[in-house]
Amino acid sequence: MKPPRLGHDNLGLGVGLRSVHFDYILKNQPEVDWFEIISENFIDSQGRPRYVLQQIAERYPVVMHGVSLSIGSSDPLDIEYLKKLKRLAREVDAKWISDHLCWTGVLGRNTHDLLPVPFTEETLRHVVERVRVVQDVLERPFVLENPSSYITFQDSTMDEWEFVSRMAEEADCGLLLDVNNVYVSSFNHDMDPDQFIRSLPHERIVQFHLAGHTDYTTHLIDTHDNHVIDPVWDLYRTAHQLTGGVSTLLEWDANIPPFPVVHEEVLKAKRFMGEQLTAPEETAEESPVLAGAGSSVPHPLHHIRPEVD
Amino acid sequence: MSGPRSLEVVQRWFQAVVSHPDGVEGGAVSPDAQELIRLDRGQLEAVVRRSRNLTASERLSIYANAYYSRLLECLGACFPILKQALGDEVFDSFAFEYLQRYPSRSYTLDHLGQHFPKFLDETRPEPEEGSEPGGVDWPDFLIDLATFEWTIAKVFDGPGVEGRTLLTPEALQAFPAERFADAHLVPVPCLTLLAFRFPVNAYYTAARHAEEGKEVPIPAPANEWVAVTRREFVVRRYPLSPPQHALLTEILAGSTVGEAIAAAAEASDLDDESLAVELRAWFRFWVAEEFFLSVA
Repeated sequence: MKPPRLGHDNLGLGVGLRSVHFDYILKNQPEVDWFEIISENFIDSQGRPRYVLQQIAERYPVVMHGVSLSIGSSDPLDIEYLKKLKRLAREVDAKWISDHLCWTGVLGRNTHDLLPVPFTEETLRHVVERVRVVQDVLERPFVLENPSSYITFQDSTMDEWEFVSRMAEEADCGLLLDVNNVYVSSFNHDMDPDQFIRSLPHERIVQFHLAGHTDYTTHLIDTHDNHVIDPVWDLYRTAHQLTGGVSTLLEWDANIPPFPVVHEEVLKAKRFMGEQLTAPEETAEESPVLAGAGSSVPHPLHHIRPEVD
Repeated sequence: MSGPRSLEVVQRWFQAVVSHPDGVEGGAVSPDAQELIRLDRGQLEAVVRRSRNLTASERLSIYANAYYSRLLECLGACFPILKQALGDEVFDSFAFEYLQRYPSRSYTLDHLGQHFPKFLDETRPEPEEGSEPGGVDWPDFLIDLATFEWTIAKVFDGPGVEGRTLLTPEALQAFPAERFADAHLVPVPCLTLLAFRFPVNAYYTAARHAEEGKEVPIPAPANEWVAVTRREFVVRRYPLSPPQHALLTEILAGSTVGEAIAAAAEASDLDDESLAVELRAWFRFWVAEEFFLSVA
């Protein structure tokens, strides 16, 4: 019997660190429980991003979240990349390192997208073996997230939740449950999001993600550009009850509003931590958008713009 | 169909389809995709399931559209002034072709634009009829501007000297004058020198300060020399005269101060006395602007 969260701390309610908020955070030292960084924005940085991260890591718990591990790719793992992750994790004392159950490219290419894998026995064996290698190299808790997806393969022989559950058990890794991704993928694939969440090994869930998405009527896209919608909060309530509560993080990657708006959004999670509480009344407040923070493409897009005199 | 296809085949097929310049349907009938999974037009559902609302082709197109949207947006963010100069449509058409020739092979989007100046050079149009052989033409402006913006990005996040002890004006002043000519000035690692055929630094400044929507005309060709460095985590740009550029080039090459001054004199029209006055002012200014780690 595994302990809740595989024994890892519940860090509370955190925010994804984005460069448009650097100055605000350094100046105001907001009362945020923890920050999650996009690993690729910092592993090579020798400039301001790395400097800012160092300041933040001295004040707040930090978790590393990557977008290029490509755990499901048939290409070999990039061991140099893993070593860079490991070095940064040591330098910022990352509580754990996460990435996505996906692949980002083959034949040496990177599409910079989180591409879906077919849920087959072959993929499961392949991913489990690679998770074990990654854990051996990183020597730090490793957690995989369910991505949003827009297709399913004819070859799949199991549901996503079965694949995720078996992967976590067989590789002995943690799970990052992205509640918004469950909602988006479930809509896109005509699945039941509640069943998805109820079917997972809850003691292996180390972290939650929350985010907004875009509704195109026929499908949803995980754009991380808005508030969390009520049905996602409802799923969050369920996930909270099933896990007993785990570190929760809000991602906001496009049309990014000022930091207090983003922080306020994740604090709404408190309202869903008790069974008797209901959804908040406000749902669609307008937020001012920071200049230069706009984007219309699906997550992930992470590039820090230089500061020039 | 006989059993599931291998993961490798599915992934290579998927990548060929969603990154094809003609879109999903064109990608699926491309030789790269057909070699992996042979499908006739309209047979995508043999690989990808349809949903209640969307066909397999429509679902795959979400990935295909995202692939180009994301990377075009990122390239635009890497080269904002070049994009402004070309206009969104022309820039995106260059960038679209670039992505075919130089697809990302890195774990980070920070490397996405590294071949873009080279690509612009490789794909430059033939010189117009009657133009001077080997002369400067408008593609050189694009190449120079792309090179400049890429340098800025590298200097911004590359090695710097913030927090380190640097050469101070006082230390330079105190250095024995008789040893100065044989001394070496050690430049900071972020100091980068550039020589252009168009005044792209001046253009960069004008374009950044231009009112939104107001076009900044492409300048006439003119040689321009620039030093790019970083101080307090902000990229700094310094226009250089030809003798300044010659001097700093020698210093970056590891020459002695005396050799560097000789190179500056070669590139200068000033008499020795006037040049000496200038040199003192240049060194004072560059030391104050943190161009050098030390002198020894």
